[in-house]
Amino acid sequence: MTMYLMLFLMGLPVLAGVLLHPLHLRGAARKAWCIVTAFLEAAGTLLLLFQPESSFTVLSMTDTLTIAFRLDLTAKIFAAIAGFAWLPVAVFAFPYLEHEGGEDFFFSFYLIVEGMLFGMDFSSNLVTLYLFFELVTLTSMPLVLHSLEKESIAAALKYLFYSVGGAFLALFGIFILARYTDSLEFAAGGCLDLSAVRGHETLLLTAVFLAVVGFGAKAGLYPLHGWLPTAHPVAPAPASAVLSGIIAKAGVLAIFRLIYFSVGTSFLAGTWVQYAWLGLSLLTVFMGSMMAYREQVFKKRLAYSTVSQVSYVLTGLFLFQEKAVAGALLHVLFHATIKVCLFLSAGAVIRVTGKTRVEQLRGLGKAMPVTFWGYTLASLALIGIPPFSGFVSKWYLAEGALASGVPVYAWLAPVILLVSALLTAGYLLPITISGFFPGEGFPAQERNEGPASLWLPVIILGTATLLLGVFSAPIARVIMTLAESLV
Amino acid sequence: MQYILISLVFFPMAAACLSYLIGRKNKNVRNVFCVCAGLIELALAFLCVTGNVTSGSLPGVCGFGLHFELDGFRRLYVLVIAFMWAMTLLFSPGYFAHYHNRNRYYFFNLMTLGATMGVFLSADLLTTFTFFEVMSFTSYVWVLHEETPDAMRAANTYLAVAVIGGLAALMGIFILGNEFGILTFDSIREAARDTEKTALLYTAGGCILFGFGAKAGMFPLHIWLPKAHPVAPAPASALLSGVLTKSGIFGVLFLSFCLFRDDVPWAVTIAVLGACTMFLGAVLALLSVNLKRTLACSSMSQIGFILVGIAMTGLLGEEGTTAARGVVLYMMNHSLYKLLLFMAAGAVYMNLHRLNLNDIRGFGRNKPLLHLCFLVGGLGLAGIPGTSGYVAKTLIHEGILEAAEHRESMAVALKTLEVFFLASGGMTLTYMTKLYKAVCWERHPQKQTEYDAASGWLPASGRIALIVPMAALILFGLAPYRVLDPIATAATDFLGCGAPEHAVHYFVWENLKGACITVGTASVLYLLVVRKLLMQKDRYVDRLPSWLDLENAVYRPLLLKVLPGILGPAAAVFGENRILTPLFGKTVEGFGHLASLFGENRVLGPVWNGVQRIGAFLLQTVGTLPDTAVWASARTLFRPIRHLDRGTEEDGLTYRAGSVLDAFRPRGVDGEKDHRMANLAVRIRRTIEDTTHLVTGNLSFAMFMMAAGIVFALIYLLFLR
Repeated sequence: MTMYLMLFLMGLPVLAGVLLHPLHLRGAARKAWCIVTAFLEAAGTLLLLFQPESSFTVLSMTDTLTIAFRLDLTAKIFAAIAGFAWLPVAVFAFPYLEHEGGEDFFFSFYLIVEGMLFGMDFSSNLVTLYLFFELVTLTSMPLVLHSLEKESIAAALKYLFYSVGGAFLALFGIFILARYTDSLEFAAGGCLDLSAVRGHETLLLTAVFLAVVGFGAKAGLYPLHGWLPTAHPVAPAPASAVLSGIIAKAGVLAIFRLIYFSVGTSFLAGTWVQYAWLGLSLLTVFMGSMMAYREQVFKKRLAYSTVSQVSYVLTGLFLFQEKAVAGALLHVLFHATIKVCLFLSAGAVIRVTGKTRVEQLRGLGKAMPVTFWGYTLASLALIGIPPFSGFVSKWYLAEGALASGVPVYAWLAPVILLVSALLTAGYLLPITISGFFPGEGFPAQERNEGPASLWLPVIILGTATLLLGVFSAPIARVIMTLAESLV
Repeated sequence: MQYILISLVFFPMAAACLSYLIGRKNKNVRNVFCVCAGLIELALAFLCVTGNVTSGSLPGVCGFGLHFELDGFRRLYVLVIAFMWAMTLLFSPGYFAHYHNRNRYYFFNLMTLGATMGVFLSADLLTTFTFFEVMSFTSYVWVLHEETPDAMRAANTYLAVAVIGGLAALMGIFILGNEFGILTFDSIREAARDTEKTALLYTAGGCILFGFGAKAGMFPLHIWLPKAHPVAPAPASALLSGVLTKSGIFGVLFLSFCLFRDDVPWAVTIAVLGACTMFLGAVLALLSVNLKRTLACSSMSQIGFILVGIAMTGLLGEEGTTAARGVVLYMMNHSLYKLLLFMAAGAVYMNLHRLNLNDIRGFGRNKPLLHLCFLVGGLGLAGIPGTSGYVAKTLIHEGILEAAEHRESMAVALKTLEVFFLASGGMTLTYMTKLYKAVCWERHPQKQTEYDAASGWLPASGRIALIVPMAALILFGLAPYRVLDPIATAATDFLGCGAPEHAVHYFVWENLKGACITVGTASVLYLLVVRKLLMQKDRYVDRLPSWLDLENAVYRPLLLKVLPGILGPAAAVFGENRILTPLFGKTVEGFGHLASLFGENRVLGPVWNGVQRIGAFLLQTVGTLPDTAVWASARTLFRPIRHLDRGTEEDGLTYRAGSVLDAFRPRGVDGEKDHRMANLAVRIRRTIEDTTHLVTGNLSFAMFMMAAGIVFALIYLLFLR
């Protein structure tokens, strides 16, 4: 049952995406085709959450080289963000693309990527993970170059280069790792053959370091974060939403699996690699929010914000402390909701008014109150104002950092998280403020929010950021058990 | 039964949403509904206070559970808050008659009521912080309600202080959470008692003090207070001044009585900051020529008095009951006095839309209610015998004297503090006299007849809202032993004090002496400073130089210019990736040109089109098969390296080169040649070979991947669009 459900989740969107173009569906039929697919995926994901753990092999090329899938808690967490986010974004994308055209291609790739993401989430060894990691890159690239303007093509290629370049680094690491492990299957605590490693620690550490930096390209980790601020402004808003909210998390998943399920933290704890990672991720956290603070293009600002926020997650993972890991996984969940909501609200503004720069948004809160409310709720969540969801994950991250006892970083991490939260407030709230409170004597705005499918996903996701925070205790409890089993 | 307690917090929030919905249909019904909501909240507060509920919790909500508690101090403050809100809500419909966006105001007002209740009822630090943040954000909307440039600027300052303060406090809470594990007040009190106060703990305390002190208006974080209060609508100013600043004090109480109980360095810090706040606020109030700004600066000064009281309690330790009683009473008094005064100021403003003393002078003539308000408020704030303010001030004064006895090493410092205390008290009376005389006795040079004719200047609901708190205050002042003493006894438990060891007699010469000094100082100050220095040609002039503004001179440049100016470019160096972007940028650009060249050149025609479309999809799905094939082949290349410890002659040149080196090495103990260098050389060569193998294998694979991606991109560009 579980196996078929997993295959269904991976296969259905690929099938639907591939068939979309040849079937020549138009108008409402095309819409129904995509939304029903996304809905079935969401429903399947919901069902999946209650399935027992299981695993199965699809193909074994050699006895160590297999394409195998498994369902565990990690897979469920990452599958959940993909499965549940895809539906509202799909609903949003139809009115958004009305004028741009090219729906067939957008939606076929949009659906295929979802299947690939599920494949990556379910992968049970590094080989499968790597395979789907590349596939996600290749199939999500067309989403970026959708408009086919010169900038978008250049941006898509940049995305491709960074991701593939990063994957190369990662592959290098996997090769070396393969030499020192019993198998590439994921196992909590890693599967390093410590007797084989003896004498080659430096080589292995370097390899793992580079692998994480490489996978970090997708998660926007410095120094391979450059594609995010280039790709997001030119991609259509729904594409940016999933790229930032969900696909960037593919990098997080890869790093999480590599560190916690292949190498194991006991080997890495206290080495220069850990400190270097922490340094990179904290640098990214600060640099991302500072750049966002200086940025005036709305979507680019959000892209830099993603750079910063995903590195919160990475910081949590690099601390090797159970609370920090729990915080990181919670932030994966919460940031996905928040960032999808923020990008959709930016998209709604672009679609209705055509305004792309922050200073043009003054007074728009009166014209698009629902969209701006959604934006505001998500912003407060991203800053980490209680009782919004971001607060909970940041609490775990900071407590984990303080308890980790890693020299310097134990207190530096919370300080940087808070400074970055301040900058987050600095780059998100002025939009709300000038949107809702344009000042005395500002001409009254005609209310115009576009069709319901533009603002409904925004406000639903915005409310979700609040509700996830208020009712986060059961989620946090489940994730905490996972984290405790890993560290 | 705990649900009554919890409903104190959530009932107003529900009412806020309801009022918004009602307000969209009918404004009058909404006004009535809001007043009713305020009264229901007051009734609920009464029920709670008289009932026997002491705690309530919502486990798991908001991540860590919300925990509430009801002890004597909280009982008092729950009542004060509910009472103040009920009165301001009663006052609001008249005041807001000609305003826009009233729906917004009521929504955020009621939300803030719930959040404020949450702050004061909270039993653990996370609950406090949660509601504290909600309160900051919802009250922000009141401050900018009028959306004038001044209001926007003040509101943004308020928000910035709230956000920065909130995050600083959060850092402190992080540290405490890590240190103590559980964050309930009781457990922290227990744990902190036995803990050595480390630098870490002081850091945490400092951070939390930063956050809550900023809300209280403590020097040097007071900058928002004199700006935000005057621009907010009057009922909102009353609440900001009367209640929201007290939520900051609540945090300081937690720090001083749970975390740093009887901690001398801490108490001294609070005393210094409190004295600065007290004195500076009084000076600012004296210099101000704006009715509400004077009241706002006065709030700041009064907060300073409360902080001094807290510090004295800390210095006295076990014997600090008198000062603790003073703190509690002072807090309550100040809330009620500011309620009265700000609403009276609001009554002036809603008629004249001016706040400058030169414009509003004379409005209070022939209006007994205004006379009474300013008189009761002024005398009470200044602590004239016969008012409840006198009782509270006497208790804190007593605290300073006791502390001077108790800690002889600090006697001189505490005597100086007493001088400042009395001087600030004197200034309080001076500026209140200035206000009272200007509003109620002087004549407006041009418009006096118009002012005198203003009948119906306050609707009946507004009058009730003024009379009820005034009556309560007069009653408190007239019966200190009957009313105020029991309140103080009941409410000092949060401060960890029981019943007093000795009763304080308020109307004896030692205590009346302080009041006499106050009156004396005030008369001198009024005659010399206010009449001579601050008035010119019978007009009040603003002698405060405009450059002397901490916010504009220091904080804003620091935050908006210096920090982004330094850190921004630093981040940009990394953020724009000065290393990788040019590298990739040129390549990408080249491919971009290439792609667009092909993209516009559709030579292959429609015949190929269909074939290619299918092919593209096939390629894309099958694209991973070679991927894995390459992987597999690469994998087979990596049979584990055999670890050869010894090289042989077969290793050729390397071995011989190593042997040459060996020849130069001293022989081993047994005189045998050990071929160490030769073996090392062989090992190094093998490692290099392996690594080269690895790198070339990978590189070719990566190139392959890259090529596949580019081909894919080209196909997509060429044929699929």
